[in-house]
Amino acid sequence: MTLAMNAVQVLLLILLAPLVRGVIARLKARIQNRHGATVWRPYADLVKLFRKEDLVPDSASFVFRLAPIVVFATTLVVAAFVPLLHGSALLGVSGDFIFLVYFLALGRFFLMLGAMDGGSSFGGMGASREALVSTLAEAPFLLALMSVAILAHNGSIAGMVQWTIGQSFFQFSAVHALAFMALALVAIAETGRIPVDNPTTHLELTMIHEAMVLEYSGPSLALIEWASAIKLTVVMALLIALFVPWGIASSLSALALVVASLVLLLKIAALVLTLALVESSVAKLRMYLVPDFLGVASALAILAVVFTALMR
Amino acid sequence: MGLFETAAAKALASSGVFLFMTVLLIAAAKRISTCIALFSVQSLVITAQIIAVSRMHHSAEGFVVAVLVLTVKVVAIPYVLYRIVEELQAPRDVSSSTSASQSVFIAAGLILLSFFAVRPYVGVLGGDQAMLAAAVALVLTGGFLMVSRKKALMQVVGLLVLDNGIFLAALTTTFGMPLVIEIGIVFDLLMGVFLMGLFVFRIRDTFDHLDVSKLRRLRG
Repeated sequence: MTLAMNAVQVLLLILLAPLVRGVIARLKARIQNRHGATVWRPYADLVKLFRKEDLVPDSASFVFRLAPIVVFATTLVVAAFVPLLHGSALLGVSGDFIFLVYFLALGRFFLMLGAMDGGSSFGGMGASREALVSTLAEAPFLLALMSVAILAHNGSIAGMVQWTIGQSFFQFSAVHALAFMALALVAIAETGRIPVDNPTTHLELTMIHEAMVLEYSGPSLALIEWASAIKLTVVMALLIALFVPWGIASSLSALALVVASLVLLLKIAALVLTLALVESSVAKLRMYLVPDFLGVASALAILAVVFTALMR
Repeated sequence: MGLFETAAAKALASSGVFLFMTVLLIAAAKRISTCIALFSVQSLVITAQIIAVSRMHHSAEGFVVAVLVLTVKVVAIPYVLYRIVEELQAPRDVSSSTSASQSVFIAAGLILLSFFAVRPYVGVLGGDQAMLAAAVALVLTGGFLMVSRKKALMQVVGLLVLDNGIFLAALTTTFGMPLVIEIGIVFDLLMGVFLMGLFVFRIRDTFDHLDVSKLRRLRG
């Protein structure tokens, strides 16, 4: 029963991810006084791309074809780590937070390989930028998760969530506050949103993710786009699960699950609204300011880890 | 002891966290107006602490002080500073001599330093270690802001943060100073902000900029 529920969680994440993206795009459009496309557009895009022909550059090797599949597969595995509706996850016991961070890194590594294999100059440029951002984001990501893990005395994401539910809602610990701020900054860099990267532009001076996927088309592009949508939703779910898990179902009764779904919907809606507001009001950073942005995240994450010793 | 009181007591015990967060955010902020808004939030947290402390000790004076701090530090001073920023019509960045990440690293170091600085005194003075450390951290980062920011207005903000720290130290160790002194301090601060506002305008009119690092020569 638990196993089935865990599988349903992963399916939910995968199937609802494009919707989250569509809602963000629509909200941003409304905030900027545009009408905007329907929230179902990402699904239509995916269907369209899957029907199209997959064009491969003459110079590309098998890595170019392999990369989208690896990206999609690693994102699926990561999605299976995060508790969504109730306190456990499909792979909750078979790996810890380090596994999660490096599975995301593995996906990104293959995306960079694929981009360079495509042979266009933009691919190489995007890959080198992505390498810079991901190198700088890795330390705060690991440290922030580690600080929560030290508090919870548990390395697995599901274990940390269980521990947090046991804490009082009003007892804010400095570790949680700092780790949350650091992870929120890392999440922006990790999912390629404003102010680190702009997912809606193809401006050659600024694009990171878009530059890497420029050579992809058809089903390969669909897989990459779908994976990046899932990644965004998974990172959101991770933030919710680690820092505001209250309301998550403690038993597998129908009532608890319905309540948990409604609460989760509210939390994701709040995060989506915040993201849309931030993205509409903040300008994208110059590339050379991104290390500074992630430096702030590193400082916060290091302070969070030090605080775990201080607060004992 | 109802649910509300329990929640309030727990929130008070962890309110030092919010002060640390405002300090770190001020260190990371790039615009003067963001710093002013964060100072306002910081004062709001301190107001909540005053209310909680005076409720625990059943002191009516405390509520008067809370209202005073709320009107002056949360509303009046930030409003005056906003108006100054608006009317100066000068560039609105803080133009720091350290980058945002360096500032946050330094602020984090100062927070850790204050934790170790107050450790010997927590047993003697009583009070919560986090709150006492927050007070010292506010004083230290206020000083750091005054030293590292080049815009003249940021010296004012740094001084205000520093003052918040002194106020918090008094609150956590002696449950607040006598009412007359509190009133004196708060109005002193308000007058100080007005005066420094005038100064900032004079600096701009005389030198055509607000960069204090360039104020090295006397001019008539």
